Amino acid sequence: MIALIARRLLQLPLILGAVLLLTLALAWGVPGNPLERAERRPPAEVEAAMRAQYRLDSFWSFAWSYTLRASGVRYAIDARRGEPMDGRDVFDLGPSLQYRDQRVADIIVDALPVSVSLGAAAIALALVIGVGAGVAGAVRPGGVLDALTLSLALVGISLPTFVVGTALLALFAIVFGWAPVGGWGSLRSMLLPAATLSLPYAAYIARLTRVGMIEALRADYVRTARAKGLPERTVIFRHALRNALVPTVSYLGPACAGAMTGSFVVETVFSVPGMGQHFVSAVQNKDLFLLMGVVLVYAVALVLLNLAADVLVRVVDPRVS
Amino acid sequence: MLRLALPLVLLASVALAGLLAGGAPPRADFVMVNRGEVSTLDPVQMSWLQDFRAASLLSEGLTRWDVFSESFDPVPGVAESWTISDDACAYTFRLREDARWSDASPVTAHDFVYAWRRLILPDGGGDYAALLSCVRGVREFVEWRSRQLAAYAAASTRDSARAAALWEETVRAFDERVGVHAPDDRTLVVELERPTPYFLDLTSFGPLAPVHRATLERHESIDPRTALRRTDPSWTRPGTLVSNGPFRLTEWRFKRHMRFERSEHYWDRQRVNVRSVAIPSIADGNAQVLAFRSGAVDWTSDVTPFYRGEIFAAKQAFHAAHAPEVARLRAAGLDPVAIDRALPRDPRAHVHAFPSFGTYFYNFNCRPRLGDGTPNPFADARVRRAFARTIDRESVARDILRGGERPTRTLIPPGSIGGYASPPGLEPDVEIARRELAEAGFPGGAGFPAIEILVNSEGNHALIAQAVARDWGSRLGVRARVIVKETRAFREDVKGGRFMVSRATWFGDYGDPTTFLDLNRTGNGNNDRGYSSPAYDELLAEAERAADPAERLAILARAEALLVEHELPFAPIYQYVQQYLFDPHRVGGISPHPRQAQDLSRVDILGDGVGADVAPAMRPGRAGGSLAPPAPPAPHGTTP
Repeated sequence: MIALIARRLLQLPLILGAVLLLTLALAWGVPGNPLERAERRPPAEVEAAMRAQYRLDSFWSFAWSYTLRASGVRYAIDARRGEPMDGRDVFDLGPSLQYRDQRVADIIVDALPVSVSLGAAAIALALVIGVGAGVAGAVRPGGVLDALTLSLALVGISLPTFVVGTALLALFAIVFGWAPVGGWGSLRSMLLPAATLSLPYAAYIARLTRVGMIEALRADYVRTARAKGLPERTVIFRHALRNALVPTVSYLGPACAGAMTGSFVVETVFSVPGMGQHFVSAVQNKDLFLLMGVVLVYAVALVLLNLAADVLVRVVDPRVS
Repeated sequence: MLRLALPLVLLASVALAGLLAGGAPPRADFVMVNRGEVSTLDPVQMSWLQDFRAASLLSEGLTRWDVFSESFDPVPGVAESWTISDDACAYTFRLREDARWSDASPVTAHDFVYAWRRLILPDGGGDYAALLSCVRGVREFVEWRSRQLAAYAAASTRDSARAAALWEETVRAFDERVGVHAPDDRTLVVELERPTPYFLDLTSFGPLAPVHRATLERHESIDPRTALRRTDPSWTRPGTLVSNGPFRLTEWRFKRHMRFERSEHYWDRQRVNVRSVAIPSIADGNAQVLAFRSGAVDWTSDVTPFYRGEIFAAKQAFHAAHAPEVARLRAAGLDPVAIDRALPRDPRAHVHAFPSFGTYFYNFNCRPRLGDGTPNPFADARVRRAFARTIDRESVARDILRGGERPTRTLIPPGSIGGYASPPGLEPDVEIARRELAEAGFPGGAGFPAIEILVNSEGNHALIAQAVARDWGSRLGVRARVIVKETRAFREDVKGGRFMVSRATWFGDYGDPTTFLDLNRTGNGNNDRGYSSPAYDELLAEAERAADPAERLAILARAEALLVEHELPFAPIYQYVQQYLFDPHRVGGISPHPRQAQDLSRVDILGDGVGADVAPAMRPGRAGGSLAPPAPPAPHGTTP
């Protein structure tokens, strides 16, 4: 296990370097002037000064300068020269070109905990709903409950989150007044976005659990357990569920990564100040610094979450080596 | 089983830990949803309406706009009075003694000199750096600084000492060459290149606000690599930002919320009607309306949900139900908000659609050849006129936009500039259009190349373009197709002249026709059409030379007539409306003026016992300070 963790962590800088170059090449190739913010174009001399300031005149100059700053090398060089330094500049991700009062590092520090928190709540909720529905359906395959959970799962996967989100918002925030329309920082403000975000994951987990459970319930060891006269409840929850959940646990890594990084629509509908909003607005605005910063964080999150899922699978199922 | 529950426990812990990092502040007296996220509070960097709105809470220029006067008069702000020289080229402002920064230090004329130098210099990176080019010596100074920076970039030795020396030289050059001086702490003298009737209007505009010199000096440095003066953006953080407006910034969590408290050092604090203002960040148009309806928000400044048309239709139905009363109140001279306030309470009255200071139009590429090198049929004014005459503007406003937008045939929004009346514009007429197209060599549209209408993917631009393409197809016999591009790619194509016809928008910045007309001057950086007319340029030059303000406006109206009746480098389509949501019985102080800038220190929650609790209403324009009286009230443009 330790070898696995060490290997993955050692791969991280290589992965980040590749992601950085690829993203920058793609973003650079997208048409559009990153310095233009409104319909009007800045005066020519202002644009020239900005290009010089941010090294936007050449791809390689920008990439080199960005890599030195984001990796901390520039800080080390400047510190050695004895230049006055700000501690926040160690990993200098630059300013946002669109929101010029904001530093990318500050934006990420502010937004990352929100996205992680929302994603974690959504997956926790999805686990409870999905596993419950999957088990309920698998106990009597083809029965009424099974048909109902399968139908609900289909709806959960098919309905776009902006429809579900707006509907939940109108119902629970406006009609009943149980939740705030937007904002962040209380359990009430988290419930609706987490529920909306969890639905597709819950549906997928329900289907995975159902299939795993049906297979497990047909296995020899379950037949043996039943033959011994164990109560059905014990057979299901103590013997079958453990094996039935292995695919679900494997799915948790990508699911967590998806929920924590891909919640743009939900974040927008519920005004949740997370990373997803920044990612999309950075792409739309060709905000190179913000885009690079968010993508690098996503890359780190994906590697670490997949690693965590692999570790968890080994904890749940010792047969996996 | 415990192992199985492990992921769940982990996830729940992470979710709760993240929540603890949040935390919303208590409700402010006045809560507004801004048009978008505030991108900067640095006056030099400002570019968007939402930035200017937030800035108007925090800072005050030499003057403030009287947003309830029809001519949007500048009234005393930091300057308590001013005098204008006989040749109208020198303004001497007297600053009030009690103008204070939020740290209680006095606002001085030197703060203005410092702030305006930042704005003028190319170093700051501001879209409005050219705003003060009417000031003596600014153009030459900017050119000189640009040459200096280019020489530094080309030099082999670049180091901190040399960059700092260049900066010292720059400061000296500014003092010597540019006509902005502070003889003492309370006197600011501005010398203009030529009489600029709208100069006083500019002094209310956000980018010309003063900055707190001591704070900025702590956050500015010279980049030895480029010799540019650069600013650490953290100077606008709450706790660091020192401002001179009616409010001070107490909280700013990016894309979460902003909060402002009434400043105890603002000279006119007695007139400020709310103790606190909050701007929560709600990006989604539907959620903004829901937030208003749930009572979490008092004012939504830009209503954009997909059911915007239905909201406006409900408002119209409300007025129709009270038609006699509405007509009586209108005849009595009440402004639109006062009329709603006088009617019985009804949620439908919370919707307000005010004409705004922006026009939607279609650019015609006026260059002799198109981007691909082929001859450009739109280089011929007869063709442009034919196409402009055959757009069904009423149908666009009525069937597609449905938000109260006004079809228009002129560039300058009617009623937005005191003393100015636009010409009628080109009369729609299909027969004349067909004749002109035939005269240009395309009888019945025969031989006309397939037209591409370039639009960006946001909003309903593609729908409008399809309607216009249909009009041109059925009325002129030409084939037109719509090209939809992502916004940044679209802008690049338009700026590069790679289009035949493209959608465009322009919002004015200051109260003078040139804020729109300059766009079509030969070589203007925003002249996307590539239009060049010596006659038009000469009219603008003639207006610059005109000594009499009324004569000047008449010349500018002739210039606009040349554009919208003869040359048609663009086809005006509609005047924007700004759709607001607020309860007129609860909120006072929101101005319906087309200029859209609000003075949020006038906003009042009615009946809460704080502030005047009396809603201000629109009234005829008047002059402030020692400004000469403005031109007589204008006919409000031409109704298309």
